[in-house]
Amino acid sequence: MDRVDEATLRDIEAFVYLEARLADESRYDEWEALVTDDMHYWVPFGPGDYEPGNRVSYINDNRARLGTRIRQLATGVHHAQDPPSSMRRVVSNIEILSADGDELEVGSNFVLYEHAVQATGHLRLWAGRATHRLRHTSDGLRMAAKKVELVNSTSPLPNLAFII
Amino acid sequence: MVLAAETPIVGTGRDYTHLVQDYRVHGSLYTVPSVFADEMKRIFTDGWVFVGHESEIPNGGDWVARRLGTEQVLMARTHEGEISVVANRCAHRGTTLCPQSEGNSRNFRCPYHAWTYDLDGTLLGAPFPQGFVNEKPDVRLDQPGQVSIYRGFVFANQSGTAGPLAEHLGPGGSDLLDRAADMSPTGRLQLNGGWIGQRVDSNWKMWPESDNDGYHIIFAHESLASSLLAGSQYEDVILEGEGRTKSVARDYGGGHVELDFRRSYTTELAWLGAPRGKVSAYCDDLEEAFGVEKAKSIMWDGPPHAFVFPNLFLGEMNIARIDPLAPGLTEHHHTPLLVETSDPGINRRVVLQSEAAMGPASFFLPEDVVIAERMHRAFDVGGATDPHGHTERGWVELGRGIEREQSGGGQRWSDVTDETTSRGFWHHYRCVMSGSATSGPAEGNGAAPSNGSSGNGQG
Repeated sequence: MDRVDEATLRDIEAFVYLEARLADESRYDEWEALVTDDMHYWVPFGPGDYEPGNRVSYINDNRARLGTRIRQLATGVHHAQDPPSSMRRVVSNIEILSADGDELEVGSNFVLYEHAVQATGHLRLWAGRATHRLRHTSDGLRMAAKKVELVNSTSPLPNLAFII
Repeated sequence: MVLAAETPIVGTGRDYTHLVQDYRVHGSLYTVPSVFADEMKRIFTDGWVFVGHESEIPNGGDWVARRLGTEQVLMARTHEGEISVVANRCAHRGTTLCPQSEGNSRNFRCPYHAWTYDLDGTLLGAPFPQGFVNEKPDVRLDQPGQVSIYRGFVFANQSGTAGPLAEHLGPGGSDLLDRAADMSPTGRLQLNGGWIGQRVDSNWKMWPESDNDGYHIIFAHESLASSLLAGSQYEDVILEGEGRTKSVARDYGGGHVELDFRRSYTTELAWLGAPRGKVSAYCDDLEEAFGVEKAKSIMWDGPPHAFVFPNLFLGEMNIARIDPLAPGLTEHHHTPLLVETSDPGINRRVVLQSEAAMGPASFFLPEDVVIAERMHRAFDVGGATDPHGHTERGWVELGRGIEREQSGGGQRWSDVTDETTSRGFWHHYRCVMSGSATSGPAEGNGAAPSNGSSGNGQG
């Protein structure tokens, strides 16, 4: 791994925390503003060690489909998130996995509590590992890819209709 | 009092002929544990149940873990190439043999005392043979009374008393499976794109209803009206408005029903959302395999949107199975409908469509999940406790379109927004649960099921 300087590390951490908070608070437009035009958003089944598209994933969004996802959430009538879940996630174990030119690969772990208020009122627990591919742009750091590997992704899951 | 050997071990005395009427059903049927127990016996033990597809286990030793009702089973390919379905439960002390969802094994070996079974369930050996008469116990893994395969779809009947699978499917169910299988130029689907499971805190019967309800699409999925629905295969249902839809809700009898979108398609491959140029090799393969005429109808009609009683949803680009785990807990599993073709692109498109439509993070199913969970909670608290349904509270109204249905040729059909599909499911449910003779499509307008039993429902 290439080393990054202390200031860059702080920027990266701040980005990951901001991304998590905007997702927690269902601030869709602000969250979407963090992604690049070639964003890939992937929640694989099992370890994300396969070519997405060769088998079915929970989420395998290119930028266009991610846009559809955000628009659906923003309609206000997406019953699966109407009202939006109340959520808080704790992000930790942030590591710079690689730094190559303008891009950085960042790994982190998360624990997310979701109050699924739409029907059951259950408090749901989600846990896993996120791998961000971040890019230095003229607008600052942006997210070119996010992969979320849930620890229990091989078991049937309840609704995952929010941004994870 | 001596009970006869055939005395059912369940039976609640519920009057299913009253709880399921032609135009309404009682909410207690979704929530009451003893109803669920009756269903596990009469539908999931005494009847045919979809297990999986033979393409999931192509090689000797391959297996997948499934459920028949609530019972864990393994569907395996023996080393001789046969399909077997056996209980995922050691015949010794009952340990689950395979806790994973799939694998490849030389044999099944129990971790508790190392009893080892062939993939067809034969006990190969048990350690320390001197303690057994004839060196090993005379047992094997439990297995269904009958297993039968149609177009690669594997079905099992635990009791062995359900008669031939062909009788269960009937012409309607067989035709639906034919239409799904014929999407593959070889006639063989390749359901090897993996399964995704959705956990739902609702009763399982919300799914034969919801998956085949043409009335809800524009309302429950309103959030997609301006994006995915416009220009999709559902455009007919959402944009044409009442009385102008061309799609049809069909009841084939036997609980097999379809939302038939075929008449609404205005281009070939409308169901795929791609012109022929994008999947030309696939279309060529279809023509070569089936001839130009049949290939043309396949390309226009696409895969069915239909339900095969009691747990198989043919969801266009998806095959789904419904696993009832408890009165208020269901798993809705799906896998993309992949085909054998020289075309490099069509299966990737199908996977993308699958991800858009089904699964907990898709655009459609999560909305249906919330609806189902809201229904279940409403029935759980309100007016749904009278075992005979002798109450005006807690009924589910399913009468839409009952006066304008048409019938003929063993089918009943109506406007796609009519509840003909739900009535078809429930009509067969009533026949099975009350022990009366099964029959063709639901008779409308108050006709009683033939030979309806009235008392304890144990006929």
